[in-house]
Amino acid sequence: MPDIIDILDEILENLRKTGGVEACAAVSRDGLLIRGIIQKQQFAESFAAMAATMLGAAETATIELGKGVPNRVIVESDQGKLIAVGAGPKALLIVLVDSNTGLGLILLELEKAALKVKELLT
Amino acid sequence: MIETGIPKLDEFLGGGMPKGKSLVYFIQPGVEGEVFGMQTVYSALKNGRNCIFVVSSTIPDIIRGQFKEFGWDINSYNETFFCVDAYDPLIGAPSKEKYVVSNPESIEEFSKMIINIIKDSPPTTIVFGSLSTIIDLCGEKETISAVRDWNKMAMLYDHVMIYNFTAWPYSEETLNSIKGDLFNAVISIGGIAERVIFGQYFGILKSDWTKEIKKSMLFRVLRPGGIKLYIPKILVTGPFDSGKTTFVHALSTRAISVDRLGTTIALDHGHVDYKGFSADIFGTPGQERFDPIIKLLSGESMGVFLIVDSTNPTDFVRAKQMLEITKSYGLPMVVVANKQDLPGAMAPEEIRKQFNLPQDIPIVSVVATDKKGVFEAFEVLIDKITEGRI
Ligand SMILES: Nc1nc2c(ncn2[C@@H]2O[C@H](COP(=O)(O)OP(=O)(O)O)[C@@H](O)[C@H]2O)c(=O)[nH]1
Ligand SMILES: [Mg+2]
Repeated sequence: MPDIIDILDEILENLRKTGGVEACAAVSRDGLLIRGIIQKQQFAESFAAMAATMLGAAETATIELGKGVPNRVIVESDQGKLIAVGAGPKALLIVLVDSNTGLGLILLELEKAALKVKELLT
Repeated sequence: MIETGIPKLDEFLGGGMPKGKSLVYFIQPGVEGEVFGMQTVYSALKNGRNCIFVVSSTIPDIIRGQFKEFGWDINSYNETFFCVDAYDPLIGAPSKEKYVVSNPESIEEFSKMIINIIKDSPPTTIVFGSLSTIIDLCGEKETISAVRDWNKMAMLYDHVMIYNFTAWPYSEETLNSIKGDLFNAVISIGGIAERVIFGQYFGILKSDWTKEIKKSMLFRVLRPGGIKLYIPKILVTGPFDSGKTTFVHALSTRAISVDRLGTTIALDHGHVDYKGFSADIFGTPGQERFDPIIKLLSGESMGVFLIVDSTNPTDFVRAKQMLEITKSYGLPMVVVANKQDLPGAMAPEEIRKQFNLPQDIPIVSVVATDKKGVFEAFEVLIDKITEGRI
């Protein structure tokens, strides 16, 4: 298999080890799951498509309103949080975080990972 | 013809393998390829054929366990299925199998066993779990020359010979003869990284009984299930209310939709498992205000269903517009003439005329609410997709 996959897996593996992260995935801008570490494997493809749509819709809205490209989309519920960030023109990263972890460190790690994925996939 | 049991491969080969022929699954290292030989074993057994599996990379019990993981119950074929154990003797363990190669590091011993089997067995599908392991133990030149003999003998006795081979960095000479004249057919199995599609494919590198074919298919390996052809994205688009969401749900093994007030505002996403295919389906919204999302979702599609309401000719204008937005022109496409149960529904040919559709785009009559025609449409699109190179 191409080396890219191994590197991508390592980036996701590291992200997954960040405290509070339950699942993470790299997804193409058009909604295809590239790689993911997700327990509910059955749902992984749908999860990827939904997240890409969310981020894409958010970007369309803020750009049209003259507010530029959003840094990230954060969705909060009582059970946890879902964060999607762009990772270059081809991909985005998503993480699922448990409800009692603060976002500080996770956002930092996510940002770093997104930069690496951007490098990798452009 | 003897089937390989790999979806679409038999069709590409013109029905399977003629008796007496040999085939190698030429596997790029790191790709899950050994399942190919195993799936061929199971398919042969299921079709009532005799089958022998040559085990040389691990103990036969582990191999039997792997078959089980794929959901293939080979132990119930104890009259027609046998293992050749070329592993236990290596580690000095006793063997429970009918055939045992007493010294798997000696190509003479190996050959004696294989030739005996070839001479004494009724027509059989003989599958080598790992030719590369035999090469590692017995030497490149020695093994190649033995395989040449086995294939010749197998031809005389009407067997079919199948080999899994992992293309480690052997000598150029070895790799060339394996890809070249040693076998009647070579199926290459590898990994691809194309834009955002990362996956595994197989394709026919050579087949001396088939007219030239240059097809390759993406696949996934499921446990249970084995090899499924994989289509990462099929787009379902069309005007508002034409029945896209209904269609996605009718077709899918499982599906979810982001609908509000009865209309799709983000997407429908479904997964289809059907006749050896595994496909992910993306349904778009229909109204113009969602055009940015429609555009966003349509990249990397391998095929398109265009859904129209057959009772509503105004749909066709918008439908054409949606083909532009989704950049669907040139992709394999099937037009779904939906709502054929309603009075006033136009017949497919009438739709072709009104719509000014070229003859090579199929139109399929569908009643999505009753799942009528839905899988026919799927098969037609799959054929279109597999006609070209994926
Ligand atoms: N009579 C009939 N109604 C259908 C058929 N397919 C869909 N519908 C109905 O058409 C309406 C729109 O369907 P929907 O799938 O939401 O359309 P979408 O906007 O294209 O996603 C719903 O009320 C469906 O029940 C069909 O084959 N026959
Ligand atoms: Mg809909």
